[in-house]
Amino acid sequence: MTNATILSYITFVYFAAFFFYLCMMIMGKAAFGRVATWTCIMGFFGQAFAIGLRWYESYKMGIGHAPFSNLYESLIFFSWTIILLYLIVEWRTKNKTLGVFVSPLAFLALAYASFSPSIDSKIQPLIPALKSNWLIAHVITCFFGYSAFGISFGLSLMYLIKKGQKEERRGNFFVKLLPGAGVLDDLNYQIVAIGFLMLTLGIITGSVWAHSAWGSYWSWDPKETWSLITWLVYAVVLHSRMVRGWRGRKIAMLCIVGFACVLFTYFGVNYLAGLHSYAKS
Amino acid sequence: MEKEKKSQNILWRTLSSVKLTIVLLVLIAIASVIGTFIPQREEAVDFAHRLSPQTFHFFQMLGLFDMYHTAWFRILIGALALNLIICSMDRFPGAWRRFTARPRPDRSKIFQGIPEHQTFVVSQPGESVSSTLEGLLQSKYKGVVKKLSGSTVYFYADKGRFSHFGVYLVHLSVLVIIAGALIGSFFGFEAYVNILEGDQVSSAMLRGKMVPVDLGFTVRCDDFKVSFYDNGAPKEYRSDLSFLHNGEKVKSAVLLVNHPVKFRGITFYQSSYGAVPGDKALIRIVRRASKPQTSSLTVKLGEKVPLPLDDGFFTVSQIKDNFMNMGPAILIKVASQKGKPIRFWVFQYQDRIRRSFPGIFEKFPKLNPSAYKPYTFYLEEIESKYYTGLQLSKDPGVPVVWGGFILIIGGLFITFFASHRRFWIRIESRGGKSKISVAAMASKNPVGLERETHELLQTLKTPFGDKKND
Repeated sequence: MTNATILSYITFVYFAAFFFYLCMMIMGKAAFGRVATWTCIMGFFGQAFAIGLRWYESYKMGIGHAPFSNLYESLIFFSWTIILLYLIVEWRTKNKTLGVFVSPLAFLALAYASFSPSIDSKIQPLIPALKSNWLIAHVITCFFGYSAFGISFGLSLMYLIKKGQKEERRGNFFVKLLPGAGVLDDLNYQIVAIGFLMLTLGIITGSVWAHSAWGSYWSWDPKETWSLITWLVYAVVLHSRMVRGWRGRKIAMLCIVGFACVLFTYFGVNYLAGLHSYAKS
Repeated sequence: MEKEKKSQNILWRTLSSVKLTIVLLVLIAIASVIGTFIPQREEAVDFAHRLSPQTFHFFQMLGLFDMYHTAWFRILIGALALNLIICSMDRFPGAWRRFTARPRPDRSKIFQGIPEHQTFVVSQPGESVSSTLEGLLQSKYKGVVKKLSGSTVYFYADKGRFSHFGVYLVHLSVLVIIAGALIGSFFGFEAYVNILEGDQVSSAMLRGKMVPVDLGFTVRCDDFKVSFYDNGAPKEYRSDLSFLHNGEKVKSAVLLVNHPVKFRGITFYQSSYGAVPGDKALIRIVRRASKPQTSSLTVKLGEKVPLPLDDGFFTVSQIKDNFMNMGPAILIKVASQKGKPIRFWVFQYQDRIRRSFPGIFEKFPKLNPSAYKPYTFYLEEIESKYYTGLQLSKDPGVPVVWGGFILIIGGLFITFFASHRRFWIRIESRGGKSKISVAAMASKNPVGLERETHELLQTLKTPFGDKKND
């Protein structure tokens, strides 16, 4: 299938973007940053085209549905949303340093989707439980949430690196190029707020959908429960920041824990029994 | 008395602290993690068997096999709800004050240290400038306050005062959702029932309790169909249901996954399906004579069927989907005028059994498909019958939960994206010229405030031909 072939090539595009971002950071040359951004933009549009093509191909096969129905398709969408959100953040902040932390996430998600032997890239027909208009709303909101938390993870790492550097090593381009700790902290909060809103919408759409598919809006299915755990962790982030006034290191650490929860909600839960089994392969 | 008051204060302070909120959120998260690693409810049985007796008792005591419904987990949720209420009560008056507060327009301190581009001078006297600006401000903001102080005119305008309530709306919606869940658990139920095609039921088994619940009406499954894609994956499960009251059909409906059917407050969901041997068998009868003759016919259980070219009759008197561990079989009874009726079993996998146990049919006339000469019976197939597995639920809390969902979305939008923006405008006139200064404050989002301040300045400058400040 053409779409899967294109998507496997895009993996390398994102790797190239990561490489250029890294060159920019290590050598301190802005030209590499521009090349990296353009590589990202190319990859983004190429991937958008491939996703659209996959959607179209599924209709040609007579089993038409939005390409959000299994692990392969979700990974593709995940990497795409990460790049989309990243490009928006880069454009708004005029800072490219986040790229070196975020582009690997998109690259790894695509590489896992394209090259893992256990993941099937074939377009499969929708099983009865997935035949619902809620599928699109649920997947889009959840994955924008996951991606926002992925970016928050990148920002938290940047914060810890920036703060962790000793004075004498400040000469190093890598650390010098990173935005100030205060800026990172503020940006992280904004991204977490967006992620939290998206995750809330994702849980709500999932819940309304579950109500019509499984007969209960909440069944303590492991994936549901882990999404709630993730929600609780980010609720702690927001409360500790807004009310208790935590800043910086503690928040960064919490955001890293939060992203670990996101990853467990996404992948780890597949090892536990539950209703979301179609997201496994 | 003094002491009592103090302890009350401590209790209030504890319950209204965000520290407690964080502790509770973390505890609920940890408990939930445990709940996802220990199989719950129906899935718990296998897991429980593998535990040592001591571990089992320990888990049982803590209710870990149905953790989300234990008293201690509910107490945690209840404590969070209480904390939310007290916290909000404790802080709400402050938010209310910020909502109702109308600061004095003639604050001069606020204009100290404003960026230079937030002031500009126009060559018009103060009175005409202030009346122009007042009109402009009123078109952009509600409730503009004006104050004169000597020759200086002050305006105050604001926007987004309601944003102080966003967080309370979120907290309220969490409480609403919890309330909806409580309503569901007190006044609702969840039950299961399997209905054979053509059969009807008027009760179902409550989930986890194995107690039947009376529906107050009857549901009949007229038909069940399952279809598959070419790759073998299921495509559609479909039950055709009829709802009957006092034997009369009131409603018929098609039930699909994702398309539940509601009848008299009870919602039906397509949950599973299965097959059981039905009451019809496809039989082939071979008559061995000078002219061998074969006939195939579908026979219903208990139906009396004439044997071809014979005065006898046969009936299928039993249908077994697995008889003597040798697969599907039927019991044939042949009655004729020649003598006593005879009975024998006919297996579907006759050839296979004959190969595995040579001579078995000849040895045991009860198992011999050729026991009635000159006929040999073959069982081609037992027609299977589908049953549909339905889940039933009644949950009056659902609309409340949906309401909570809408509130939480609105609340989060307000909390994250709305801010209370306040503007002070000062017009100082000096010899036919006026100096206009704009000061701004926001409860959050300084970048957004900067943008709006810039827009406001542009608006205020327009009538004066956008003169640069000097």
